[in-house]
Amino acid sequence: MAESLDLLKGTLDLLILRTLQAGPMHGWAISERIEQISQDVLQVNQGSLYPALHRLEHHGWIQAEWGVSELGRRARFYRLTAAGRKQLDIESKNWDRLSIAIGRVIKLA
Amino acid sequence: MIRLRALLHRREVEQDLQDELILHIELQTRKNLSRGMDPVEAARHARIQFGGVQQVTEECRDARGVNWITTPCKDALYALRGFRRSPMFVITAVATIALGLAIDTALFTVFNAYYFAPVNVRDPHSLYAIGSTGVAHGYSLAAYQQFLPQNSAFSEAFGYKGSEVRMNDRRAFGLLVTSNYFQMLGAGAVLGRTLLPGDAAPTGGEPVVLSYPAWQNRFGGDPNIVGKAILLHGYPFQVLGVTQAGFRGLGARPVDFWAPFNAAARFDQGSDAAGPLSIVARLKPEYGLSQARAGVTVWLRHLAGNGPDAGGVQGLVTSVANFKPWNSGNTLAFVPILVAFSLVLLLGCANVASMMLARAMSRQREFGIRLSLGASRSRLICQMLTESTMLAFPAAAIGFVLSQALIWLCVRVLFATLLPGIVDFANRLPSLSPDLRVFAFNLAAALAAAFLCGVVPALQAARTNLVQAAQGEFANAFRPSRLRNVLLVGQVTVCVLFLITTGILLRGTQQVQNLEGSLSARDTIEIAVHDKFRDRALDRLAVEPSLDLLAAAAASPVGRKPVVSVTARDGGASLQIAANSVSPEYFTLFDLPVLAGRNFTAQEARSGAPVAIVSQTAARRLWLNQGAVGQILTVASPTRSVRVVGVSRDEISRWIFSGEEKTLVYFPTAPRTGGNTLFVAVRGDVETARRKLDSNLAAIDPDAVDEIRRLRVRDFVREEAYSFRLAYWGAAAIGVLALLLTLTGIYGVVAFVVSQRMKEIGIRMALGASSASVSGLILKQSMRLACIGTVIGTVLALGVSKALASIIVMVNTFDALTYMGGTLFVLCACAAAGYLPTRRATRIDPVSTLRYD
Repeated sequence: MAESLDLLKGTLDLLILRTLQAGPMHGWAISERIEQISQDVLQVNQGSLYPALHRLEHHGWIQAEWGVSELGRRARFYRLTAAGRKQLDIESKNWDRLSIAIGRVIKLA
Repeated sequence: MIRLRALLHRREVEQDLQDELILHIELQTRKNLSRGMDPVEAARHARIQFGGVQQVTEECRDARGVNWITTPCKDALYALRGFRRSPMFVITAVATIALGLAIDTALFTVFNAYYFAPVNVRDPHSLYAIGSTGVAHGYSLAAYQQFLPQNSAFSEAFGYKGSEVRMNDRRAFGLLVTSNYFQMLGAGAVLGRTLLPGDAAPTGGEPVVLSYPAWQNRFGGDPNIVGKAILLHGYPFQVLGVTQAGFRGLGARPVDFWAPFNAAARFDQGSDAAGPLSIVARLKPEYGLSQARAGVTVWLRHLAGNGPDAGGVQGLVTSVANFKPWNSGNTLAFVPILVAFSLVLLLGCANVASMMLARAMSRQREFGIRLSLGASRSRLICQMLTESTMLAFPAAAIGFVLSQALIWLCVRVLFATLLPGIVDFANRLPSLSPDLRVFAFNLAAALAAAFLCGVVPALQAARTNLVQAAQGEFANAFRPSRLRNVLLVGQVTVCVLFLITTGILLRGTQQVQNLEGSLSARDTIEIAVHDKFRDRALDRLAVEPSLDLLAAAAASPVGRKPVVSVTARDGGASLQIAANSVSPEYFTLFDLPVLAGRNFTAQEARSGAPVAIVSQTAARRLWLNQGAVGQILTVASPTRSVRVVGVSRDEISRWIFSGEEKTLVYFPTAPRTGGNTLFVAVRGDVETARRKLDSNLAAIDPDAVDEIRRLRVRDFVREEAYSFRLAYWGAAAIGVLALLLTLTGIYGVVAFVVSQRMKEIGIRMALGASSASVSGLILKQSMRLACIGTVIGTVLALGVSKALASIIVMVNTFDALTYMGGTLFVLCACAAAGYLPTRRATRIDPVSTLRYD
């Protein structure tokens, strides 16, 4: 297993929004999926996941609904809203610009 | 939405959040289990991975953005719980703030009625008086007619002129207005109609519109008044209507009637009938004030033509939207009153602040615990400020009710003590009902007061030393005694200041009272006749059977007199002195005996001989102790020499605001000399005689009499002194309130000091200190502060009384008795207030105090 990295500040929102593009899921599933897809490189700090979810909901980018989890218990499923899709678009473009810029600096400086 | 839900269904939302977080931990536990951990280890690991549940919960709450609402709510609830535990504190604090607030709100209600509440006319805020920087105010009718065409910034304008005339047989104040006046101000009539543009004079006399109060007070609310004839200045006018009750026109002076401007010809016979009038115009909404002013300036310069000062004239455009115009002069006059009233509120605040300091001190343990549990200092300060704000709301409510009661009471007292001569004053009072501005002021003042009370204790509480708090030592870091001392000194200062000022005013009123006794109490009738009809009027009076005595004088004994410069030929003393020309009967009529020498003879009076009578004081100043009779006096402008034939008793009049006229010189004159006012004493009922004289003189010509009214010098002076008495009562009330607040403040502080030094006193007594020495110790501490406050207060009082003396003459700035009495009284009261809690200190049982805590 590769050594896990802490998330860059501000990228958690982007990751959550991108993850939810695949469909509604609850908090634990979101963190699992991020770890899975990043092949365990990215570890979501679970303490900061829920405040982030609530903040995104407060902004109206995601919407929470009650559903039934795999344990048969009720769980909050988060779903991307139209505003969230727009925000995701903006944030991923920003990320692209940032990573390209950083890549350039690393290569050429 | 989410925010609303979070607010309204707080418990549900909290539960949801808990469920969500617990589910996460359970899912994590299952994952750990599947990795092969044993159940206990899996659960523990899941919790470690998650972090602090409480912390995450709190962060989620923050993320929802409702904490800024829920936190103050929780603080408020917490404060309420605290209040329930100490009801005496709450009652005292609320009552103290409410008391100070009540008088401030009452003052503001009056202030508001005069300066902030708009006058009751249509769109008052667009109305402006047109003036100029020059001396002359007033425009000719022709200028008025040019005004609108040449000033495009204004949409309409009316002209008016104030006129004081007799209405039937009583003095009345009316406005002579251009016919668009009522239309422009949007005033309707309760009876008949108002003046309309194009009103022609109906048969039966010029039209006149009565004000509602005039109709009620002078005509008994006669429902058939419309169409009746009333006499204005002896001429018949026909009543056209009565204005609505709420309409008072513009300006502070109550108007009794409105007449068309061309009626001015009737009132000012011989003078320019189209005489100077004032203009009020309505600014068009699209124009600014500076544009309007520039336009007026151009118009004024055009009016002045090529006159000498045409270039320097500047237009002035002043709002008439309020009862009184808002300018620096008015504001300055209000400053001392404002300061006095707000000082009382500040005194109350000081009391509450020291109470809160004591309370904060006894809560040190609580603050220490909260700080060690992780509360931030700002959070603690917020909590304390919330507590003091919670006190503000009930204080505002009670203060408001109290203020309205106070106003009601004051108006009642005012009317009950009002002298008959100034009953008209009652009409002048604007409506004193509270409006939104008063509410806002009340609430703002309450919040400001609460903040002032709370901020210092809050800051002090937040200074709690965490380490000491954790060790259980709470009191050491907390020594707000210096601040409390400052508060106490301030209170004593203000208290001494108020009491001395009250004392000075009281001595003034006493002086007034003493002097009133020596004034003439004779009921006379003052008649000002038109010079054209003087001889015929005097002939008519000569045959009046009820007439007892007739005197004449250039100036009324209560009127303003010209000042002349006189020099004693032998001795050289020179004096600025008030002068009056009087007939010989004047001295008899107004009880001014000639003490030395003789009165004027009838021959001297007729010829205006070069003789004079001087008042006692004038004689003393001019010739010291030598006899004044027979001396020669040189009078300036026109320079002439007169021989003093007599010395009369000092005459006292108008001395509240312009000083005692103790130095007077009288020259002889006769009733037939032009310009003289006549004074008559009659047998029998004076009012009946006055009416009879009025109708008899009016029979000569409607215009023969300018003025016929009763005059009693003593009453007149009493009326003058009335405002002085009001000031005294006001100052006394505030002084007593200040004293009460100071005494309770001292009591509280000393009681607190005693409880603070309980241990020390116990040790002293255990070591053998007598109870007298212990109480001396405590008293010395509080009396030292009281002495400092007294000294500062006395110095301030000197300044205030000097300022008072510059407005009111009857004030003795260096009244030693008042100063000594005031300071002694305050010191004794302070000692008494401090003694009560001190006695408690002497009853301390040393053993039990040493065991305590």
